[in-house]
Amino acid sequence: MPEGLTGSLAQLPLTDLLRMLAAGGQNGRLELTSGLDTADIYLAGGAVVHAESGSHWGEQAFLRLVAWPNGHFRFEPAVPPPDRTIEKPLDVLFADSARVAGEREAMRRVIPSMDTLPRLVRKAPGPSVIIEAADWEVLALIDGEATAAGIAADLGVDDFEAVRRLYRLRLAGLIELTAPQAVPAPVRPLAGPQFFQALTAAVAAALGPLAEIIIDDAAEDLGFTRATLPRDAVASLAERISGEIRDTGKRVRFQQTMLAMLRQAA
Amino acid sequence: MEKELEQISAVPGVGGSFLCDNRGDVIVSSDPAVLATVTMNTIGREVGRAFVALDAAGQLASRIEFVYDGWRLLAQDIGDAVLFVVCQPDTSMAMVRMSADVVIGGWRRDNAAQKRLQRHRAERSSLVSRAALDQGSWSSWAIIQSRGS
Repeated sequence: MPEGLTGSLAQLPLTDLLRMLAAGGQNGRLELTSGLDTADIYLAGGAVVHAESGSHWGEQAFLRLVAWPNGHFRFEPAVPPPDRTIEKPLDVLFADSARVAGEREAMRRVIPSMDTLPRLVRKAPGPSVIIEAADWEVLALIDGEATAAGIAADLGVDDFEAVRRLYRLRLAGLIELTAPQAVPAPVRPLAGPQFFQALTAAVAAALGPLAEIIIDDAAEDLGFTRATLPRDAVASLAERISGEIRDTGKRVRFQQTMLAMLRQAA
Repeated sequence: MEKELEQISAVPGVGGSFLCDNRGDVIVSSDPAVLATVTMNTIGREVGRAFVALDAAGQLASRIEFVYDGWRLLAQDIGDAVLFVVCQPDTSMAMVRMSADVVIGGWRRDNAAQKRLQRHRAERSSLVSRAALDQGSWSSWAIIQSRGS
C-alpha cells in the first residue's frame, strides 16, 4: 500500500476503501475529514479494531462514519491503534451499518426536519404504556412549542439521538408530529420599470447599444429578472454592471449616476 | 479630500471613513472621526501589512472587507494609501464600494489630492521590516515570503 494514500470519499466510498485495506491485510490509521469533522479508523491485520469520531468511539463511531456521504481520507500505515474497541469482522460491521442506515431512512420519513413539532396525543394508545427512561426525558420537554431541534438542545444530545427517541415515541403512539409551518417570505418591493428605463439610459451611455443585454445578464447573475428584481438588490446590480465598464471615467460617471438614483430612492 | 469623504459618510449605515498612508498614518479622516487616531493608525498599519502579505503570497488584492458582529470595515487599496470605511453590519456594501470608487476616481483627477498623497508617499514594504514586527509575525512573514517567491 502506498505511503500516505489519500483521496476523496466521493470517488472511493469508505466501504470500498475499507474492503481494499482489509484485503491487503493493512495495519495503520485511516484519517477521515468532512468539513470540520475529523475521525480515525484503525486497522490491524486488515481488521477494523478501533474508531473515533468526536465524542463517539468503537462501533458507534464506525456506524456514523460509514454514513458520511463525502469527505477526504488519508491512510497512514503502521500506526498502532490507541485502543481496541471493535471486535466484529468487517462484513458484520457493514451489515450493521446497512441496518442503521435503514433505520435512519425510516426515521427521516417520519421526522423529515429538526423543525418538526412534537405534541402529546390526547388519548393514550392503550390501557398501560411502558417507555424507556430516556424517552421520558423527551416527553417531559414536549410543550407544544419545542421543536425536535429545541428538544435535542435541551437534552444535550445530537440530532440523531433526539430523532431516534422521538421516533420511538411516535411508534408507541404517544406523540403526534406536526410539519413545520413554512414562514412566508417577506414581500420585497420591486425595482420597477421606471428604474430599468433610467438604468438602461445610464448603461447605454457607458457601454453602448448592448445595454439591455448587459442589464439582463447582470440581473440573471443575481438570480432575478427585470420583473422580479427587488429594490434592495439595485445597488448590487449597479455594482455588477459597473464592473463591466473598462473605461475608468465612464465607470465613475455611471457609479455617480447610480448612487444619485439610489439616494433618491432611499 | 475631506469633502469627498463626506460623500461616503452620506451612504446610509456608514459611520465614517479615513485614509491612511503606507506607514499606517492617517492622512485624512471624516469629521467627526469615526475612531480614535491611534486606532486608525493601528488599523492602517495592520491592513497595510495584510496587503503586503497577500501580494507576497501571489494573491493580489485591492480590497478587503472585514465583517464583525457589530460593524464592517472596507479597506480599499489605492496604491499610495488605503481608504477605510466603517459601516454598520446591514449597510449596502455595494453602495459603499461604488461610493469609494467614485471618491478615489475623483482624487485621481484632483491635483491637490495627488500632491497631498505624494507628501505622504512611502513604500508599504517598510511595514514588514524586522524591527516593525514581533517574533511570531516575523516568522509568519518569512514563510509567506518564501512560499510566494
